[in-house]
Amino acid sequence: MTSMDRNERPAFRRRFGLHFGLIVVCAIVLLPPLWVLRTSFVPEQLSYSNELMPAFTTDNYSALLSGRFGQSYLNSLIVALGSVLLALPFAATTGYAFARFRTGGRWARFAVLATQMLPPVALVLPTFTLFRSLELSNSLTGLIIVYAALNLPFLTWILMGFFEGIPVDLEWAAMTDGATAWGAFWRIVLPVSMPGIAAAGVLGFILAWNEFLFALVLSGPKTATIPVALAALQTSNGVQIAKVSAGVVLAILPLVVASRFIQRFIVQGLTFGSVK
Amino acid sequence: MASIELDRVSKLYGNGNYGVHEVDLTIPDGEFVIFLGPSGCGKSTTLRMIAGLESISSGDLRIGGKSVANVAPRDRNVAVVFQSYALYPHMSVRQNMAFGLKMRGTDAAVIDAKIADAANLLGLQSLLGRKPAALSGGQRQRVALGRAIVREPAAFLLDEPLSNLDAQLRAEMRLELVKLHRRLGRTIVHVTHDQVEAMTMGDRICIMRDGRLVQAGRPLEVYADPVNTFVARFLATPPMNLIPATLQAAPGEGLSVLTDSGAVLAVPARHRNAYGERVGRRVILGVRAEDFHESPDKPDWQKIAVRVVAVEALGAENVLIGQIAGQPTGKDDARPTGDDKPLEIAARLSRYFTAPVGSTVELYIDPLPMHLFDPETELVIARPSLMGATR
Ligand SMILES: Nc1ncnc2c1ncn2[C@@H]1O[C@H](COP(=O)(O)OP(=O)(O)O)[C@@H](O)[C@H]1O
Ligand SMILES: [Mg+2]
Repeated sequence: MTSMDRNERPAFRRRFGLHFGLIVVCAIVLLPPLWVLRTSFVPEQLSYSNELMPAFTTDNYSALLSGRFGQSYLNSLIVALGSVLLALPFAATTGYAFARFRTGGRWARFAVLATQMLPPVALVLPTFTLFRSLELSNSLTGLIIVYAALNLPFLTWILMGFFEGIPVDLEWAAMTDGATAWGAFWRIVLPVSMPGIAAAGVLGFILAWNEFLFALVLSGPKTATIPVALAALQTSNGVQIAKVSAGVVLAILPLVVASRFIQRFIVQGLTFGSVK
Repeated sequence: MASIELDRVSKLYGNGNYGVHEVDLTIPDGEFVIFLGPSGCGKSTTLRMIAGLESISSGDLRIGGKSVANVAPRDRNVAVVFQSYALYPHMSVRQNMAFGLKMRGTDAAVIDAKIADAANLLGLQSLLGRKPAALSGGQRQRVALGRAIVREPAAFLLDEPLSNLDAQLRAEMRLELVKLHRRLGRTIVHVTHDQVEAMTMGDRICIMRDGRLVQAGRPLEVYADPVNTFVARFLATPPMNLIPATLQAAPGEGLSVLTDSGAVLAVPARHRNAYGERVGRRVILGVRAEDFHESPDKPDWQKIAVRVVAVEALGAENVLIGQIAGQPTGKDDARPTGDDKPLEIAARLSRYFTAPVGSTVELYIDPLPMHLFDPETELVIARPSLMGATR
């Protein structure tokens, strides 16, 4: 036992040093969000106090949720989920075509990437004009379509990478086993790439959840999403910092959950043992 | 009925390279045929064209007498076992095996029965519930085979199915596959780059090189009568010794071969007619490693002096690596390797043979199985085969 202790001591010291360093870095990174969390539970009048916890209240949350913010929360969920669900089938089929066939050639692949390089400001005004004449502005449907379109190139590109990682032997096996090319995609490629598709979906969700510019231009009071609602809190009556903090905490919540998912999906290998 | 006929089949890839070039081959129904060749020679491409997974650039392919140029893989009734096994990772062993049957709308009860049969045959009963990730290499290989068997296809196409297994398992599976072929009687095309598999498993070997079919024939025929130096070397370990030489007239009506290193080998009377017109010309003498012997057991074996470079003890036999000793003739333009290293020959001798490195030993060549090759074309100079002949 004693010899083991002696062996472990330097290792322990090294680990202690490492952890201490990590804790300091984490503290620096985490302090602002933790302060936001703290402020969200402090009454508005005391929110700028230097005390750690001058008083505790959940009023900020109940005030927020009883007002427009609750609606915005729902709007954001609908828009983010809706746009991802709308974009994924297109992204999956396009990504697969790019990965397996010569579809569209190099030009099409570049074009998909190029759309990502346009500054959003250049797109927002034409979209607004177009949507107004289509009566899609000020509607969640409009936002869903916009976010699906914004997400599409990005999702296509990610999924193309995932599909390229799937051995073509799997599809060949399915096709000699009696599946059509579409059947091989549907029954083999899609299930096998589920982790990748889920991860892409979560990334697309986050993108839509956080988007501000299009939401600001295309939404009205009833269709505002969280980023817009948060911005509104800052301008209407001065900055209501406690309420904004509560809003930020609520806004972050789904992202914390989502990031856990992403980790699991990405860590999970793609082909898990189909090939030697 | 699943005869497979390749009629000048070529595969031209987009980059302008031929993966396969004008392959002509007829595989009768029920034959176990081996495609053998070095990596990149077009074996897998040929297999994929037969399976319909790769289009044919020119030529025609017939399965069971019908052209399948426009028939989808799923309608060709062939099963493929891929080198990677390509098991569906999200399905259990049972589901993997059931997939092909389900696709064809087979009854659930029939599927269960067939899976049970195949699992019995391959010893997979206890693994049916597992996912591929939880299987060893050998188990995956058997599942891949089982997945093919349950479908009862007209032909099996196996792409190096044993190459991922360790030596012992590979030897076992070689036997299993041969038994399986005997039991099912289906056409099997087995791709390999392993000469032992090629020699032992199939009814026929098709040797490929650079996309072309070089030679097709029964294993022992190809071994005894290779059409060129490539086949001569490829089909054995150690490969056939190729010795640059000149064919010359010998006293009487005889012929002899003078190697560039100065050794003389009398040509057996039996080959005289075939080689007669090459007198005075350069040739490559081909002698298999096992045609060297330590003692003159037969009167027609001929003495040759060899300087020992190394002796490799393999357990069952010793392989002598050496140089033929003699007065060099100064001609070495026909040396097949083309480098400056003195030509080394390999001789398979008994496990009791020893000799110090650097010493010169006397060995005895059995000249009867020898071949002469044309140094320009590398093609064999035809002579009557010894197959079936009595000595
Ligand atoms: N998709 C492809 N595009 C271009 N060349 C290819 C392709 N697939 C195979 N080849 C080439 O065709 C030749 C034969 O390949 P392959 O049939 O896989 O050989 P083998 O199975 O005998 O090792 C090789 O030279 C290879 O590089
Ligand atoms: Mg291959």
